[in-house]
Amino acid sequence: MDFGYTQDQENLRRDVVAFIAGNVSQGLLDEMDSGEEGGRGPEYRDLVKKVADKGWIGISWPKEYGGQSGSRMDQYIVEEEFMRLGIGIGGAGSGAPAILAAGTEEQKEYFIPGMIRGEIIFALGFTEPQAGADLAGLQTRAVRDGDEYVINGQKMYTSAAHYSSHIYMMCRTDPDAPRHRGISIFLIPMDTPGITVRPLWTIQSDPPAPLGTTYGMARTNETFFENVRIPASCLLGEENQGWYVGAMGLNLDRVGASRYLISVRRDEDIVNWVKENDFGGYSPAEDPAVRDKLAELWTEAQVCRLMTMRSMSLVNRGDTFTYEGSAEKVWAPEHGVHTTEAISQILGPYAQLLSSSEEAIEDGLFAHNLMGSFQSGINHGSVQIMRDQMARRGLGLPRG
Amino acid sequence: MDILPSEEEQMLKNVAREFLEAEISTAMVREMEIDGIGYPPALWKQMADLGWLGLALPEEYGGQGLPLTYLGLVLEEAGRVLAPVPLHSTSVAALTIANDGTDQQKKEILPSVSDGGMILTWAVHERDPRLIPEAMQMQATADGDGWILNGTKMFVDNLVVSQRCLVACRTSPASDANEGISLFLVDPNGNGVTQTSLITLAKDKQSRMDLQNARVERTALVGEVDQGWPIVQRMLDRATALLCCQMVGAARKDAEMAIEYAKNRVAFGRPIGSFQSVQHMLADMIINVDGGQMLAFEALWNMDQGLPSSVEVSQAKAFCNEKCEVVVRHSQVIHGGIGFMMEFDLHLWFRRVTSWTMRLGTTYEHRAKIASALLDVPGKVRLGMPLPVGA
Repeated sequence: MDFGYTQDQENLRRDVVAFIAGNVSQGLLDEMDSGEEGGRGPEYRDLVKKVADKGWIGISWPKEYGGQSGSRMDQYIVEEEFMRLGIGIGGAGSGAPAILAAGTEEQKEYFIPGMIRGEIIFALGFTEPQAGADLAGLQTRAVRDGDEYVINGQKMYTSAAHYSSHIYMMCRTDPDAPRHRGISIFLIPMDTPGITVRPLWTIQSDPPAPLGTTYGMARTNETFFENVRIPASCLLGEENQGWYVGAMGLNLDRVGASRYLISVRRDEDIVNWVKENDFGGYSPAEDPAVRDKLAELWTEAQVCRLMTMRSMSLVNRGDTFTYEGSAEKVWAPEHGVHTTEAISQILGPYAQLLSSSEEAIEDGLFAHNLMGSFQSGINHGSVQIMRDQMARRGLGLPRG
Repeated sequence: MDILPSEEEQMLKNVAREFLEAEISTAMVREMEIDGIGYPPALWKQMADLGWLGLALPEEYGGQGLPLTYLGLVLEEAGRVLAPVPLHSTSVAALTIANDGTDQQKKEILPSVSDGGMILTWAVHERDPRLIPEAMQMQATADGDGWILNGTKMFVDNLVVSQRCLVACRTSPASDANEGISLFLVDPNGNGVTQTSLITLAKDKQSRMDLQNARVERTALVGEVDQGWPIVQRMLDRATALLCCQMVGAARKDAEMAIEYAKNRVAFGRPIGSFQSVQHMLADMIINVDGGQMLAFEALWNMDQGLPSSVEVSQAKAFCNEKCEVVVRHSQVIHGGIGFMMEFDLHLWFRRVTSWTMRLGTTYEHRAKIASALLDVPGKVRLGMPLPVGA
């Protein structure tokens, strides 16, 4: 076992930090803060080009599809440093692992390089009004018609749909088959006629959460499909195998710098805040109850870090996950909740103040995170579903 | 960065598990609870022959010179089967002699430790059980060519079978220069030493040690006079991280027994392991054990690299204290009534893990140390990076 970074990895991190200091402009941060295009406007695309020139995007992705065929740990280092500013860069994003595993050559060549460059962005079309945690109950239909499929239905919480180029979606292709065996995955351009996106505003929208808020998105969407005709080449993997295709790489989507940082940034923030601030002479940093709690949270956060390092170690070795990805997706979000709730009791009434308020601490960052952290335990597989998976796949316990 | 065991480490772990599971039964563990010396000498000799008693000791003194993480793996496996052997106390004291002892002390003691001929322990806790210099009231007074020791040490592990005990004593009042603590090697069977057995939750071999005008020679001093506290701190850090390995080994086995039980125990017409309430308890148990394991081995790895490790040690122990306790309690709950019947084996794990949570620093003591490192030194903190250090 080796809990340290190599000299090369340390150097890489130093180079990335220096690059960020010299290249991440206020203009980019303002663009991200504005939330338009999900923060991925011209400034972002300009940055991606510069990062690509350094050879730092898609490091662990195959060379033939626009990556560097390098190590996952190196990619993690790049991802972590950018993600600390809220900038998603470095990997290929959700959906890419499954495309690499199950896509046709044409799909891989078309999608993966574009995803690595941030030019192709997928909205995720899984959840429906009547199918959330029980995803296999989804109803959106795709019916084969010659060389095309025709799609009708509705998807919920398609968060990127208003700025994404494509949607990665699960549809029912065989209503008579057992539920898990009648589902297919399609990769569909968002500009296809018949797709309508309607905004759903989250509790972070008024006033808007400050930049850096975990789950600070003001907007998600519901997306409607009305006689949407797509070529059959949009099918990913085999028809009716979508449940199994979708499972490929799902674990990989649940681990990494983004998952880790959204759960632990507030631990650093609150420690750094109480070290430098007080309330008219009352210093929480000297309060024994606060000190005990901060030490407890810091230790939990270290476990978040180590779980992420364990996942990176497994991926680097080319090993498969048994329960480690699910475990990380239980521990980290629940830790994030512990921290934000504890912070509310450390800052007391000040933790109520939202971004637009006078007297708000750190532009309301802590208050908005209290509304964001629990979302992490719901999205992308709830912590209860993750525990089910650990128990059944990891521990071999029988289904209820 | 690859925090999983290497092939070589995994091999050692496998060998240790195979040997310990074959040699140690719960019948033996129970027998040793009521045994006068608390360990089977034949087994101890076998462990010496395997090289485990000198695993992390220097090669020039008969050891194998392996990193502490290797010793941690063996202790994890020892914890798994609740090995009734004085491995932890002997290793902790021997490592301190190896790191801070005189050449004569190393020559006299370490080869005998490696070949199984000498059992060691250490004594720091006193009436005020906190592991801080202020609590050290045991007096050592210079007397010609030696020292006279007076005072009481508490919770001394395996004292009854030890040939030497490292004792933290006060030789001066604390000053700006140092804490006034010195460390001595004491023969627990020497004149002026009284041992009183303590009956513990773990039914292990802990004692109170009263020293009344016990004399030691000048050569018994480990390190310099009045400069012993940093040595004691390093000893306690190693002891604590290694105890965490033992705790997670025992807690994981306990969790595995609960998983097996849940698969087989039928209630309401189906295995209780098919109920989500039970499944989620078991999933949390594994998460908790994994967390403690990673924290403990990171602390040992830092020590091996010569990096700061005190905060990592405290993180591991604070976490293991609470989370390993949750694991063994959940396991008892899943087993229901049979789990706390004397004839059923599960309580052997519960009682030991619970007892270990109270040793070598409580949750509150360790969190106070973490908080101090986080909050009392200026500068920003960041996870995964070294904490700021004082001027």
